[in-house]
Amino acid sequence: MSVSGLRKGGVTLTALGLIGLVVIYWLSFFWVSTEIRQGIVQRIFYVHVPAAWTTGLAFGIAALTSAMYLWLRDERLDRAAVSAAEGGMVFGAIMLTTGPLWGKIAWGTYWTWEPRLTLTLLLWFIFLGYFMVRSATDNPEKGKRFAAVVAIVGALDIPFIHLSVIWFRSLHPAPVVIKPEGPSLPGDMLTLLLASFAVFTVLFFGLFLLRYALETVRVELDARAREVAA
Amino acid sequence: MSYLRQVQAIVWKDLLLEFRTKERLVAMGAFAVLSAVLFNYAVDRTAVRPQDIAAGLIWMTIVFGGLLGVGRTFHLEAQDGAFEGILMSPAPKDAVFLGKTLANFILLYVVSLLVVAVFMLFFGLELGASPAVLALVLCLGVLGFVSLGTLFAAVSSGTRMGETLLPILVFPLLVPMVIFGTGATGRLLASRPVAEVVGDIRMLGAFAVMALAAGALLFRFVVED
Repeated sequence: MSVSGLRKGGVTLTALGLIGLVVIYWLSFFWVSTEIRQGIVQRIFYVHVPAAWTTGLAFGIAALTSAMYLWLRDERLDRAAVSAAEGGMVFGAIMLTTGPLWGKIAWGTYWTWEPRLTLTLLLWFIFLGYFMVRSATDNPEKGKRFAAVVAIVGALDIPFIHLSVIWFRSLHPAPVVIKPEGPSLPGDMLTLLLASFAVFTVLFFGLFLLRYALETVRVELDARAREVAA
Repeated sequence: MSYLRQVQAIVWKDLLLEFRTKERLVAMGAFAVLSAVLFNYAVDRTAVRPQDIAAGLIWMTIVFGGLLGVGRTFHLEAQDGAFEGILMSPAPKDAVFLGKTLANFILLYVVSLLVVAVFMLFFGLELGASPAVLALVLCLGVLGFVSLGTLFAAVSSGTRMGETLLPILVFPLLVPMVIFGTGATGRLLASRPVAEVVGDIRMLGAFAVMALAAGALLFRFVVED
């Protein structure tokens, strides 16, 4: 796809996502019923949970495209990896800030060493390393390979981190949607949650396409600058 | 040369270099002893019994001291293109990685035994009822650590930031090793039955295998030019 096509697609999806986000916010404040035990704080759920889903999706894409980049050496795969990883950092930051805000009221503490919290915090730091390695290499090709190695080892380590942090007693609410006996969430809450999943995913892919287009332009600019210098 | 002979040659070369200079071994050993001295003053021993926190301190000393030595794995050959020479030799890249990792493992394992000995000496720590199992726990934990450490030492020494980057890359990945390592060490030091730590040992072993395999597989992408 051409850069202008990518940008058009990116702008369209991002705009749709942002409009959807306004609708989600409106619905979660004025439409959906209030959860009986947690009260009003539970409404942050419609931001926190889809942000968590999007973070997982983004880092998953980043790890997968990184592995494929090392294998096939197609520049587009590296661009996809860096764009997805950056999206993951942003949505991860949203998840890691909305979570403690909710936790302070629901649990009485901002932070607890609970498996899912620990795992996502570490994941965020693994990808911080991904970006630091990329920017600390003079040769961009080397930086891409190094970053891909960081992403792959991170992905391989995740099951171990997950198992090890489960050792600690789990405070985090159990899943309410994807579980064997079917969703246990009341109708309007489930509808809004699924809608917010869709909105966050669309927003992510919009930002992803914009970032991908930006990376494409940046690579071309670098190549032209080198040409002029040579 | 067979594969094992190639690995062995790299191990031997690294150990010989280390034996001649003793740089890394002395640095890591001194670090371990001096850390224990600082811990003595940092922790109020009238308030906390040493055996309650020894497992954690032992593993943190191994991790920090280990980074000190492992981070310099590729400085040995930084001069005069020595490392390029090794890469151009017929030995496959994964043999180079395994050789370097095993050499690091031997060094750090010696240091980790020293760390335990220092804690016994300085803090009057008892070894517990099954020292052989404790040695196994240290062995598996250190193997996982040096596998990741050696791979990412190759990455970080190829960047402008050098060793500064190493902890940022490695620490998030080491959480399983620290959790299972300290869990097992703490219970062994308290002379709990070995059956209680079998799960930890299995996980440490699986972690070491994963780290070693990932390193052997990915090392070629780090050192290619």
